[in-house]
Amino acid sequence: MERKDLTGISTMVAVLGMIVLLIVGFAAGYYLNTPSSTSTDDDSAWRTQSITLAGSTTVLPIANASAVDFMNIYSGVTVTVSGGGSGTGYSNIIDDVVDIGMGSREPKQSEIDNAKTKGRPMYLYPIALDAVCVVVNPSVDGGNQLGLTLQMIGQIFSGEYTRWNQIDSSLPDQEIFVVVREPGSGTRGTFEEFTMDPWDYEVTTAANARQSNPEVVTTVSGTPYSIGYVGFGFLNQDMHTVSVYSESQGDLVLPTAASIADQTYPMSRYLYLVTNERPASGSLTDRFMDFIYSSAGQDIVEQKGFLKLPEYP
Amino acid sequence: MTETTKERVVFFALGVPMVMCLIVFFWIVAILSSGAGTLNFAMLTTSALQGGLFEMIVGTIYLLLGAAGVAGPIGILAAVYLVEYAPSGKITRIIDQAINNLAGVPSIVIGLFGFAFFTTQLGFGRSLAAGWLTLSLMMLPIVIRGTEEALKLVPPSFQEASLALGTTKWRAITATTLPSAAPGIVTSVILGIARVAGETAAILFTSCVLITRGLPKSPFEPIMALAYNMFVRIVAIGDPAESVFGIALVLFLIVAVFAVIAIVIRTYYRRRQPWLR
Amino acid sequence: MSKRNIRKTIFHVFSRIKEQPIELVLFLCASFSIVILFLMLLFVASEGALAFSNFGLDFIIGQVWDTNAGLYGAFPLIFSSVMVSMGALAIAIPLGLGTSIFITEVVPFSIRDIIKSIIELLASIPSVIYGFIGIIFLIPAIASVFGIYSGYTALAASLLLAIMAVPTIVGVSGETLSAVPKDYKEASLALGATKLQTLRHVILPIAKSGILASVMLGFGRAVGETVAVLMVVGNRAQIPVPPWNFLNPVYPITSVIAMQMGEASLYSEEYSALFGLGLILFIFTFIVNTIADIVVRREGKVGGRKK
Repeated sequence: MERKDLTGISTMVAVLGMIVLLIVGFAAGYYLNTPSSTSTDDDSAWRTQSITLAGSTTVLPIANASAVDFMNIYSGVTVTVSGGGSGTGYSNIIDDVVDIGMGSREPKQSEIDNAKTKGRPMYLYPIALDAVCVVVNPSVDGGNQLGLTLQMIGQIFSGEYTRWNQIDSSLPDQEIFVVVREPGSGTRGTFEEFTMDPWDYEVTTAANARQSNPEVVTTVSGTPYSIGYVGFGFLNQDMHTVSVYSESQGDLVLPTAASIADQTYPMSRYLYLVTNERPASGSLTDRFMDFIYSSAGQDIVEQKGFLKLPEYP
Repeated sequence: MTETTKERVVFFALGVPMVMCLIVFFWIVAILSSGAGTLNFAMLTTSALQGGLFEMIVGTIYLLLGAAGVAGPIGILAAVYLVEYAPSGKITRIIDQAINNLAGVPSIVIGLFGFAFFTTQLGFGRSLAAGWLTLSLMMLPIVIRGTEEALKLVPPSFQEASLALGTTKWRAITATTLPSAAPGIVTSVILGIARVAGETAAILFTSCVLITRGLPKSPFEPIMALAYNMFVRIVAIGDPAESVFGIALVLFLIVAVFAVIAIVIRTYYRRRQPWLR
Repeated sequence: MSKRNIRKTIFHVFSRIKEQPIELVLFLCASFSIVILFLMLLFVASEGALAFSNFGLDFIIGQVWDTNAGLYGAFPLIFSSVMVSMGALAIAIPLGLGTSIFITEVVPFSIRDIIKSIIELLASIPSVIYGFIGIIFLIPAIASVFGIYSGYTALAASLLLAIMAVPTIVGVSGETLSAVPKDYKEASLALGATKLQTLRHVILPIAKSGILASVMLGFGRAVGETVAVLMVVGNRAQIPVPPWNFLNPVYPITSVIAMQMGEASLYSEEYSALFGLGLILFIFTFIVNTIADIVVRREGKVGGRKK
């Protein structure tokens, strides 16, 4: 009879364990799903509705933080955010799978065509500016403003130039110390899109990879003869910013809030939210967009290393 | 060198890899537990909206129990067929082969299939249900193989005794074989759960989101899960790896609990089965 | 015909009627795996068909994978997958086989279960956690040991994969080793052979094909692993120079699918290219697993293994 007892016990323990887990889970779920406090002053429908966002991983940090803050302000609404990529963002909008798509590029022609066939126009809303700034250790330019073309930057980061004086004889006769972001980083993506991809350059194997913008700042300001790139929000006095040759201006342009806003600084782009209809005024989609355009939303934009839109100084 | 010393040297050398494996294991545990400082109990019960992990933990458990609910019954019945009914012929061989092959399909391919079939074709969208079905495909071979093993360990005399009393085969199986094999079957299901608990590739496109409010109210809503959150935060958002230490530790603990329960039941059961002595 | 016989026949008929639906249900459950495999092949192949018809053979032998430029040559990716997995096997085979031989031949029975359980736990650790540990520990370690700037390399992926493949190798080869009939071993020892000689000349030859199968299954597992690899491998779609340079970043098939699936718009060229990659992966692992299975089966006959 020993056998029978034993089978009974271990099976029961396991089954009971699962049931307990299930009950705890559902009880907790019920507790969480019940809004703790509902404001009664305005009982319009949007307060209990939900919207979904999906798309570009570059926009993801902004959307994620905005969704958390928004849901904390309005305790009945649900904002669901998932990643994917810009492709997911646009195709989900075209297929009407999500309410808001996220894009770090403008839609491709194929996506526009597809939207037309499906009869769903796309409305693009720029929510932030993303600019990559090339920075050097002060030992490199010795106080003179360094200016480079996009291709020259590409050549430095791909290892075609290995010493500073190969670029210009007035620069120091020292080896270039290249600092990059890890693959997969949005900043790296933007950087390579402008400086490497047009010429099919690959980042040199000698490059020194860093995990985050602050780490690049630390490395570049601490390492003589180093060059790196960071988001505009991370520029500081310990590094010198490189001005970049702009085709449209025919001149070197230094990244500033103004030059980025009017897009004369070449290495900048808008980040977008996209919808397939104009959000009805007062709808949840409309209110969420309003939140991102509010000063609280634009503060999140800045906090995540991007630039506020020009009209929000 | 004499044969005995040679033997000692060789066997000692063979011991080195085993010791290395054990070291690697304890070293992984050590690294993970070094993150214990970033974790506090409150985080486990705090909503993600306040920076906690609650929805991700419960979401992970929802995914696992649902997947076990799909793979468990199908897998157990399949194993009963293979052990008790299947004629030893071509069809049985093909079934056997298919189970092995299913076990070998890379999780990312299962994820692709789940996306194309459950999420897109069947129109489930990014949802808990799509995640259940996708994960159950990974669990199925583990459940079938484990159950088969458990059923084979039951002496045929048990069933024969029942059959001799004039019952049908199915009655005999449900009355004697299945109860005797129950611990082994439960083990295989729990082991299946442990194996897919941290699965990321399969749920990447099918069921998870980064943030939402609370838990899903229906199987057709998306869900937050530890593994997905950890992955997206490191790989897509680019958060420093140290910031997800807490999630990694909790995920590891969940997996470890399931795996240890399964292993303990199995060991206990194997040692105490009187008919195996 | 006696009354008793008639009763028996009637009972038999009735029990058959009751039995058959149950047997049918059980059979359907068992054949579920076949149905799923078939559906999987169908869906992955139909979504990926466009890639093969558009790019033809170039899809497999093409040297450049650049989705922005519309170039889909998967050769560097296939190369990366094979390279990383081979590197993993080079580490995992000695580690896994040594462990399983040591466990079955040397370790006393009483603690064998504990060690086996620990190795099994190694298999349960989620791949995202392996990737996490890789980033936290392995990447900086590789960078400093080899004096390179970035530790995100094929080597890092191979090391992680090796740890992940060991349990598979230990599990399957350990099973075959312990399935070698005791009589063979005892006969050899009785003839005066040492334990080592018995191992070399009796046990290993019998278990040979099982060991081979365990290695193949480990290889299949390594090729299909996604998340852990993706997090440490550096993700660069270029064949290293020289090709055996493990200190270069590479971009295995699984990582490409996981990373780029989000970027592809539904049913686009890129989307089908990624499913095409999935199809390559599916067929590849299917072949590897089938061969491993056949090897195990054949060994079952030769080695006189029961069941």
